[in-house]
Amino acid sequence: MSSLLIKGGRIVDPANGVDGTADVWIRDGSVVAPPADPDARADRTIDARGYVVMPGGVDVHSHVAGSKVNAARIMRPEERRDAHAMRRWRDFRSGTIGSVPSSFATGYLYAGLGYTTAVDAAIPPLGARAAHAEFGDVPMIDKAMLVLMGNNHLVMEAVKSKDRAAVERTVAWLLESTRGFGVKAVNPGGVEQWKQGGARIAGWDDPVDGFDVSPREIVQALAEAVDALGLPHPLHLHGLNLGIAGNWETTLDGMKALEGRRVHMAHVQFHSYGGSPDAPADFGAQVGPLAEFVNTHPGITVDVGQVMFGDTTSTTADGPTGHYLANLTGRKWYNHDVEQEDGCGVSPIEYRDRNFVHAIQWAAGLEWFLRVDDPWRVALSTDHPNGASFRAYPDVIALLMDRNFRNETLARLPEKARERTGLKDLTREYTLSEIAVVTRAGPARILGLTHKGHLGPGADGDVTIYAPDDDRRRMFALPRWVVKGGEVVVDDGELRAASIGRSLFADVGVDPAARATLSARLGEAASFHPANFGLRLEDLCDPLGVGTGRRP
Amino acid sequence: MPTEPLPHTCTFCGCLCDDLVIRAEDGRVVEVLGACALGRSRLIGIETTPGAAPPCRVDGTEANAEKAVLAAARILSRSKAPLIVGLRQTTNEGTRQAVALADRIGAAIEVGDAATAWPRIAAMQRSGSIGATLGEVKARADVIVFWGCDPATTHPRHFERDSLVGRDGRRTIVMDSGETDTSRRADAFLAVDPDRELNLLLTLRALVREVPLDPHRVEAATGHPLSALLELAETLQGARYGTWFQGASAGRGPARLGEARRQAVTALVRDLAAKTRFVALGPGEAGNAHGAEGVLAWQTGFAPGADLGPGFPESWPGDSSAADRLARGLFDAVLVIGGPAPAIPDGKPWIFLGDPEDEAFARATVSLPAGEPGIDDSGTFTRVDGVSLPVRALRPARTPGAGEWLSRVNAAIERASP
Repeated sequence: MSSLLIKGGRIVDPANGVDGTADVWIRDGSVVAPPADPDARADRTIDARGYVVMPGGVDVHSHVAGSKVNAARIMRPEERRDAHAMRRWRDFRSGTIGSVPSSFATGYLYAGLGYTTAVDAAIPPLGARAAHAEFGDVPMIDKAMLVLMGNNHLVMEAVKSKDRAAVERTVAWLLESTRGFGVKAVNPGGVEQWKQGGARIAGWDDPVDGFDVSPREIVQALAEAVDALGLPHPLHLHGLNLGIAGNWETTLDGMKALEGRRVHMAHVQFHSYGGSPDAPADFGAQVGPLAEFVNTHPGITVDVGQVMFGDTTSTTADGPTGHYLANLTGRKWYNHDVEQEDGCGVSPIEYRDRNFVHAIQWAAGLEWFLRVDDPWRVALSTDHPNGASFRAYPDVIALLMDRNFRNETLARLPEKARERTGLKDLTREYTLSEIAVVTRAGPARILGLTHKGHLGPGADGDVTIYAPDDDRRRMFALPRWVVKGGEVVVDDGELRAASIGRSLFADVGVDPAARATLSARLGEAASFHPANFGLRLEDLCDPLGVGTGRRP
Repeated sequence: MPTEPLPHTCTFCGCLCDDLVIRAEDGRVVEVLGACALGRSRLIGIETTPGAAPPCRVDGTEANAEKAVLAAARILSRSKAPLIVGLRQTTNEGTRQAVALADRIGAAIEVGDAATAWPRIAAMQRSGSIGATLGEVKARADVIVFWGCDPATTHPRHFERDSLVGRDGRRTIVMDSGETDTSRRADAFLAVDPDRELNLLLTLRALVREVPLDPHRVEAATGHPLSALLELAETLQGARYGTWFQGASAGRGPARLGEARRQAVTALVRDLAAKTRFVALGPGEAGNAHGAEGVLAWQTGFAPGADLGPGFPESWPGDSSAADRLARGLFDAVLVIGGPAPAIPDGKPWIFLGDPEDEAFARATVSLPAGEPGIDDSGTFTRVDGVSLPVRALRPARTPGAGEWLSRVNAAIERASP
């Protein structure tokens, strides 16, 4: 196989404590130690003198595949017409963009930003077969999926039994069947309750009708099972009351409910609002106390779900939230209930800087980045496409690195909104190294992907090389070179090679007897034969199992 | 993974029953356990032994595969305005190859039945859609409406597998132009004049929204007394989890109103969903048009048709439709993937990729015999509710599936291009 030398760049590799000039050697797709022979030559050398060299970007929370993403594409032709397209070129496929790009375009655009890994954060077990097929048409990046389990009938039955081993078996079986990477809970218990038409679940101890469990019990059991199975990534939690005024207290209660267990809080910006549902005018950002809790509890990580102003599409596995949002905007609404677990809601949304609520949401996201002291525990995300497209990442980076740029935007916002956030008092500016943490090193560590997010020997040969530029947006929007698995896929600013990327899954073991029992139980209620539920490795595009069970 | 034989998935109707057990004796299918009469009649008698590959055809004579692939590649690469249509019975894997080919040659590609698919998608693009998987209906529905559809005839196992009509105290209401096998099994039947379907839907919506209505005008508009419709609206609103099943055209009325009817159903269901849980879906079209739509959408962003002629996907209703271009003669070559093939005027070259028994096989300029999914070919089909299921061959393949042929044609075009 081939070798590549990235010579003389400024290496920003915070996972290895490196920020300085050095060479990076890649052989057979992985980073290797520099050869002992000082005259050693590589098959190709990139002269990176004067450039900034980072590991490839890692997105811990995005929506890139599956039925709700595809419904968003079909439902919104209006945003993918005219110039919003990518042309067919050489071996590159054509595509359309909008807020939810078509599959090939998604891969090209991510890679074009220097990202080499993206995790889809919400696939219902029954949607895994379709989502993995779609992954096969998302080129250039490695993909993984988090599997929805917070409203799963079999999981809730196991939680009700208070048998920890039963929960573990169910989680392992669902992960194995779906070839998922991690465990996601969305509005745990609350979606099931909504699907039943029952009283809304608003607190962690509200009972889920028919299952006799509470959201608290569900998340505790899932977080325990995730740790007992030694999954690389902690429970990935989208809590209760997303988007609702006054939800910050529910979010704080949710973090406390985990009682010290590992947890990743998804798109936490959407869960950080003050006020109350009865008094919309009291709406405000309440990031401070939540960030303080995160700062003092090392087992908790977050991704932000930054809102950026513009037109986008809300796509959520949280059916009741999707319904609420569509009614709020009065716009078209796609809803799809999926048997035994969640479903989805999709609706267009435009975030406007003159809108009081939207302005606060924008500011609350930035507050999160600036108030969490340890950048390793806050990952950059827009919850693509919910807060904005992932294509807005360079703009988010610019806001983090440049206080003046932030203040210019803040000045445009409604005065009342400016007063309801603490953003104006935050002077912190991210360093380049901190940007490398929140866009690659941190998310890789949060995901437990030891071969990603750094440039030490053994790491994947995923590297992004930026031309330093005072215009941070331009710098991060247009990397000069992107290397994926040792192959130069963006060369001198142009897409050159369309490798397909791997499908990462958690390699869990399942007891055959448990598999048979759970499969039979599934078959009693399902609209399909249980033998058709589980995916084989052949159903994945270039699968790569990630080891489990190593954690204490 | 289970060691017992995997179940067979039937592709005959939209039920996509995936729990059948095939019994073969003396090289033939002799019984299909679990299947309905339609599925049995299709599957029983099929040879399960290896057999000779059916020949390809080029210009009316038999040809070997290599020659036929080259001939197909030549037609498509020379074409300035190619069309790709069909894809009603193709696996998702095959459709991925078809869209790749369309992208390479700049074709206008359209999947399934254009006459019903475009209005259905257009309505979704205006209003959205509010649905569920069939398992949700099975588990939760207590009020079920069949609107202008008759699954008792078209989807024989629908009641048993999906809607569980007649069980658990479920209330079933049929609204259709006349009595059907479905209505005879329902709790209530409302005869609907096909020309006044839209009026009825809008009236029901007004009642759900509690708009005061004039009884005389209601009766004139719908043919039904206000009191009957009020009672119906009460039943719908009284559901805990209501389900509205509708066919491909959302009713029996004029095709030109298909989009309006579907939008009216979505609006009605959205109003009902403000008060209780309510969803709408179809019992499902035969074959895999839903899967093909999904693949086309993820690869291009559009369904059910996209024009890749400009070098990127475009989709303008009424303009990008391949069926429409076919009717207006705006093409110079066609690739038809699976029957039924449309009429194609003499003098324009076309390729048929599908069942060698199909009448189109003898008619096309180039014909490639594609193994049928579930018989010779394996892959994935997607149900009307988005659930993807494996479809498995029941015998050693006599001829490659559509995906394999398309990949060969694609490779031949690539080799020939500069």
